[in-house]
Amino acid sequence: MDLVLQLLFTGIGIGSVYALVALGFVLIFRATNVVNFAQGEFSMVAAFLMVIFAVDLEWPYWLSFLLALAGMALYGVIFNLGVYYPLRHRTYLPVIISTIGASILVANTMLALYGPQPQVLSPVFETPGFNVGPVYLDSQYLLIIVVTMVLVAFQYWFFEHTLLGKKLQATSQDKEMASLLGIPVATMIMITFVYSAVLGGLAGILVAPILFVSIQMGGTIALKAFAATIIGGFGDVAGAIIGGLALGVIETFGAAYISVPYKDGFAFLVLVLFLVFRPQGLFGERVAEKA
Amino acid sequence: MQVTRRVFTSGLAIGLAAPAVLRGASAQGGTIKIGQVVPITGPAAEAGKYAMAGAKLALEKVNKAGGVLGKQLEIVTEDDQTTNPGAVLAFSKLATNADISAFIGSIRSTQMHAMAPDILKNAKPTMFGGTDPTLTKLGNPWLFRCRPNDGYSGRVIATFGLDELKLKKWGIVHSTDAFGTNGAKALAEALEKAGVKPAIIQGYSNQSQDFTPVVLALKQAGIDVLGSYFTFENDLGIFARQLRQLGVTAPWVGSPSIVNVTALKLAGPALYNTYGVADYAEDSSPEAKAYADAYRAVMKVDPDNQSSWCYDAVSLLATAINKAGKTDPQAVREAMLSIKGYKGAEGEYNFDQNGDGLHGYNIVQNKSGKIAFAKHIEFKD
Repeated sequence: MDLVLQLLFTGIGIGSVYALVALGFVLIFRATNVVNFAQGEFSMVAAFLMVIFAVDLEWPYWLSFLLALAGMALYGVIFNLGVYYPLRHRTYLPVIISTIGASILVANTMLALYGPQPQVLSPVFETPGFNVGPVYLDSQYLLIIVVTMVLVAFQYWFFEHTLLGKKLQATSQDKEMASLLGIPVATMIMITFVYSAVLGGLAGILVAPILFVSIQMGGTIALKAFAATIIGGFGDVAGAIIGGLALGVIETFGAAYISVPYKDGFAFLVLVLFLVFRPQGLFGERVAEKA
Repeated sequence: MQVTRRVFTSGLAIGLAAPAVLRGASAQGGTIKIGQVVPITGPAAEAGKYAMAGAKLALEKVNKAGGVLGKQLEIVTEDDQTTNPGAVLAFSKLATNADISAFIGSIRSTQMHAMAPDILKNAKPTMFGGTDPTLTKLGNPWLFRCRPNDGYSGRVIATFGLDELKLKKWGIVHSTDAFGTNGAKALAEALEKAGVKPAIIQGYSNQSQDFTPVVLALKQAGIDVLGSYFTFENDLGIFARQLRQLGVTAPWVGSPSIVNVTALKLAGPALYNTYGVADYAEDSSPEAKAYADAYRAVMKVDPDNQSSWCYDAVSLLATAINKAGKTDPQAVREAMLSIKGYKGAEGEYNFDQNGDGLHGYNIVQNKSGKIAFAKHIEFKD
C-alpha cells in the first residue's frame, strides 16, 4: 500500500506538469485551430530566463519568477507576431511548419548561448520534502500539484465569469461571428498566445528544479503533454487536465509493475489505443456531431 | 640564350621535380607532425579545448627535452564538429598530408568506429580515448588506446564492492543504451564470477524524468550496495536525489559519469560519499599530480580525463618514434607495442597486442563535493 501511495503521488506530480503544458496546447488550438509544436520550448525558455535572473544575475527568487513570467508574456507577443500572424489567413499546415521552425530556432539559440550541459535551478522551498506516514512528499511536486489545481480553478472562473474570457471563448468557437459582434479577433488571439506562453513557462519554471534546465527539457514534456491532449480530447480544457494526470499515473505505475525501460512506451500505447478506439478523446465531441 | 630542346626539357624536368625535392628537404630539416582530430565546434567543443590543451602540454614538454629524432614536434588539428561524419572528414583531411607521421583520434567510441576503416587504409599509428572494448578487437593494427576500456570498469566496480566494501547484495541500475547495457553486463558477469548474483538489475531509458519506480524496486530488493552505469548527467542527478529522498542509503559505486563536474553540480549533496571509477585521478600517482599542476597553471581549472589521455598520447608517440629511430609507421607501431611500464598521467602503460595501453581503473570518492583518490585496481589480463 505504501508503494501504491508513493507511486500515486509521483504520478500525479509528473501528470500535473503534463497537464499544465497540455493546457497551453489546448488554448492555442482552440483559438487558432493549429497545434503549436513550439509549446515545449515555452517551458524551456522560461526555465532559462529563471537561470539568467536567479542564478547568473543572483536576483531574488520571486523577482526573477515575476520577471521570467513577464518575459514569457513578451515572448508570447513576439511568437504570435512572428510565427502565427503573418500566416493567419493560410491553411493550418504552413502555421504548423512555422511553429516547428520556431521550436528548432529557439532550441538551437539556447544551445549556442548556454551549451549542452544542464543548468541547476534551486527549488522554491528550502525543505526538499517530508514524510507523511510512509509516503515521501517532495515539496516541489507538491507545489506543482497545488499550482495546477489553482490554475484549473482560475481558468474556469476566467473563461466562464469574465467578459474577456467570454470574448476569448467566442473567438475560439467562431472567428467570423466573433468579429461581426465587434470582438477584436487578432487581439484575442494575441492574448491567447501570451496566456499560453505564460502557462507553458510556469510549467517549465516549476519543473526545472526537478528535471534541471536543458534544451531537451521542453521536447520531452511537450511530447507527453501532446499525448495527454489527445487522450483528453483535443480542444477540451478539462480533458487536457485529466489526460495529463492520467498519463502521469499510468506511466509511473506501468514502470513500477511492468517495465521501467518501457515507461515512455506505456504513455504512447495509451495514445495509440485512444487514436484507434476513441479518436475524439475522453471529452472531445465527434467532429461530425459538432457540424 | 637560345632555348634548345634539351634546355627546355631539362628546365621542365627541374620545374616538375623541384616541389618534391623542396618538400623532401623541408621534411628533413622541419618538424615531425602529429594530426589531432578534435571537437572545435559542436556540443563537445568545451571538451575539445581541454583535449588540445592536454596535447599541447605534452608537446611543449617533448620539445623542451629535445624533440623527436632531433626535430621539433608539431600538432596539426582538425575539427570533428562533434559528429561522426565530421570526424571521418577531419581524419581524411589530415591523412592527405603525407608529412603527418601519427594521429590522435577521438574520446568517443562511436567516432572511432566511424574513422576506423580510414585509419586502417591510412596505416599509421592512431592513439584514441574511446572506451568501447570492441575497438581494439577490430583487427585494426593501427589503433592504440590511452584509456582503460569499459571491460575493466565493471570488474573494478565488482572488485571494489566485494573486496573493499565487503558487500554482497548488489543492485545494478543502468541506461538501456549500448554503453549502459554493456557496462551492466560486464559488472554482472564480474560479480557472478565471484559467486555473487545481483539482487536486482534495473534498466531505464535515457532522459527519464522520474526514477521513483526504480528506487522503490531497489528498496524492495533490500540491496546493500549499488553499481550504476548512467550515460547522461541529468538522469544521474534526478536518480541520485530521489534515491536519497526515498531513503536508500546503500553505498554506491558508479561508472565514470558519477564523478564528472556536471554530475557533481546537478546532484550536489545527493552524491556525497559515493564512489566512482575514474581513469584519471589527480592523487593516483606522482605523474598524475605533476600533470594536474602543469594543467592548472595554464588552464586555471582542474584537469580531467578529457585532456589527460591526449597528454599521454603525445608523450607515448614521441617515446615510440624516438625508440623506433624513424617515423616509418610499422617501426613506430612495433616500438609502441614494446612500451612497458611507461608512467603517464592516466596510469602505467603496458601495451598488449590488441593496442590497449591501460589495464586498470582508479576508484575515487566524492567527499562533500570534492573528488578524492581511494584506490587503484590493476588487472594483469
